[in-house]
Amino acid sequence: MNNFSLRKIWLVAKREYLERVLTRSFILATLATPALLALLAALPSMLTSHLATGLAMNSGHTIHVAVACDDSTLGNLVRDRLTALSSDTYVVTLESSVSPEQRKALQHRVEDQDLDGFVWLDAQAAATHSVRYTTRNVTDFVLQTRLALAVAYGIQAERLLRGGVSPSEIGDILSGIDLKVIKVGAASTFDALRGALVVIVMVCVIFISLLTYGVVVMRSVLEEKASRITEVLLCSTTAQELMTGKIIGVGSVGATQIGVWLGMCALAVWRSAYLRAMIAVLEVGPAVFIWFVVFYLLGFLLYSAIFAGVGAAFNSVDEAQQWNFVITIPLIIASSLILPVVNSPDSAIAVSASIFPFCSPVLMFERLAIQNPPFWQVALAIAALLATIFAMFMVSARIYRVGILMYGKRPSPRELWRWIKQS
Amino acid sequence: MVCLDRVRKAYEGFVAVDDLSLEIPTGRIFGLLGPNGAGKTSTIRMMIGITVPDSGTVRIFGAPFERATLRRIGYLPEERGLYRRMTASANLVFLGQLAGLSAATALERGRAWAARLEIERWLPRRVEELSKGMQQKIQFIAALLHDPELIVMDEPFAGLDPVNSMQLKDVLVDLRASGKTIIFSTHRMDQVEKLCDSICLIDRGKIVLRGGLAEIKASDGRRFVQIDYDGDGSFLAQSPLIESFNHYGKHIEMRLKAGADSQELLRAAMARLTVRRFQVMEPSLEQVFMDRVGRRDE
Repeated sequence: MNNFSLRKIWLVAKREYLERVLTRSFILATLATPALLALLAALPSMLTSHLATGLAMNSGHTIHVAVACDDSTLGNLVRDRLTALSSDTYVVTLESSVSPEQRKALQHRVEDQDLDGFVWLDAQAAATHSVRYTTRNVTDFVLQTRLALAVAYGIQAERLLRGGVSPSEIGDILSGIDLKVIKVGAASTFDALRGALVVIVMVCVIFISLLTYGVVVMRSVLEEKASRITEVLLCSTTAQELMTGKIIGVGSVGATQIGVWLGMCALAVWRSAYLRAMIAVLEVGPAVFIWFVVFYLLGFLLYSAIFAGVGAAFNSVDEAQQWNFVITIPLIIASSLILPVVNSPDSAIAVSASIFPFCSPVLMFERLAIQNPPFWQVALAIAALLATIFAMFMVSARIYRVGILMYGKRPSPRELWRWIKQS
Repeated sequence: MVCLDRVRKAYEGFVAVDDLSLEIPTGRIFGLLGPNGAGKTSTIRMMIGITVPDSGTVRIFGAPFERATLRRIGYLPEERGLYRRMTASANLVFLGQLAGLSAATALERGRAWAARLEIERWLPRRVEELSKGMQQKIQFIAALLHDPELIVMDEPFAGLDPVNSMQLKDVLVDLRASGKTIIFSTHRMDQVEKLCDSICLIDRGKIVLRGGLAEIKASDGRRFVQIDYDGDGSFLAQSPLIESFNHYGKHIEMRLKAGADSQELLRAAMARLTVRRFQVMEPSLEQVFMDRVGRRDE
């Protein structure tokens, strides 16, 4: 590692970065991917506009629902409850008749779009807890959930009233409970399911980008080898400088892409009340983002060093492919452990896998995000990761040093071992 | 300037360079000759530390090789390599910067060299748009940007047309005049004959012949004879004085046996022919080359 010149690393990294960022395909991929994702996300809700309005709550579109119920107490309770759930979205009218003619009339009104739907709540329905809702739009799950809640509330409240409970008490009795899951040691409350979801998304981002940009590093090495420029470069740089510069350059390309995407997300959140509400609900603390960056960087350094070594050892992407698979095995194992670790982050498997350096970028980050693992485990995982990165850089730089000048024949594992030992 | 001592390099299954010792003097043009696969590239790579010999030592500028000395060396590899999607000038600036220059200096020197080699107007073009010869000129400029004392070139003339070869030759001669040492490998004898002060001929990793060009030719003796004549000269083929015989009708090229007297051959010819020209000459390097390595496959 002597004569390690930061200037040369910088030059190599800069060239690598600019060559990749200033291409049409990069700009297109960076801009088109989120547009495509946004479109995919927006498409279903655009198609089912009712669902969208149900979610958006403030779009101004109102949904007109009729409740057919011959018991006026019950009918009023249901109507009030439903209106209370979201008064500006729903207009609820009561129909006191439950005759077959009335039913037909209501059906016609729904067909004629005079009504969005009606609830049939006769005495039998109330007794058997089996209520029908007739509508044109069967996919407005928000409304359906609220209807079910409102009707259940109405039936229960009506019975309590009949049993002599005072109206003021009823609200108290029937109020649901609010289960808050609190992470030990953390200041904020943490909804386990939502939190786990965010973490899983972040873990997937780490997993996917480690693979994608690791392969980019490998391809870049292979390209340089194929264009025979390495020999020229090795006269003025060392293999380590070249490899480090390359990894930093490609890594910055990845960081730029993710940065642009995060910026777009921030913009979208700023512009959209709906997304703002979602972010508020998720309650992900800043510590999670810091750990995300730390483990993303460490993981990238580790895997791109390995990919660089593999790239140097072979002559084409095809040849390197089978080794690619070997490299990704620990990542695949780690990804298969993502869900088990959410469920039991303290199990022996979770602890050992999250310390194992080839899995820790994914799994230790996950544990840090959903619980507070003991300090020694975090420290050990990071130390092991750093040591492995260092070792991988040394090994790969040696393979690089020899392999980059080797053309033609594919090296056997024994030859690879010889390369690592010598030079 | 460069000194190899009993250097050996083996690759899986074969010995590329075997027990090779060489000394290259300062301020000269040195030719490393040999047929394909003789070990020229392997030798050059060890000279400039791209690979390390299995045994033996390499000394350069009077000291064992170390990376810092690479700043004083310009290297043109056998396999040319430039970034194809970058412009020629961007390639030059990048390689110049890696060699320790500022971007501005690299560009300025690159332009000056490009003007000299008449490819200035191609500098803003992407390398992939350039012809092979132009790319080679760019590569050549890249090797010279940092004004190295020692210039090492692997097959610099390969792929150049006669005009470009001449340009390159002129530049090399000028570089020598300004005190640079130049080492290049080739299998083209005509270039070597015009350019080199001394040569080393290697074959299968071993030195076959080395020294100053003049002494090498002299050591082979003035044993080549050409005769132009009238009459039938085919009887000369039977002469006990000669070793080889090439008949072209009214022109014969012969090689005398070691120790044979050329004047005796002239008398024998004059006895039966009208000799219009009789010339005893040094062998061309090509003949030496063929003599030394051409026989190996027989």
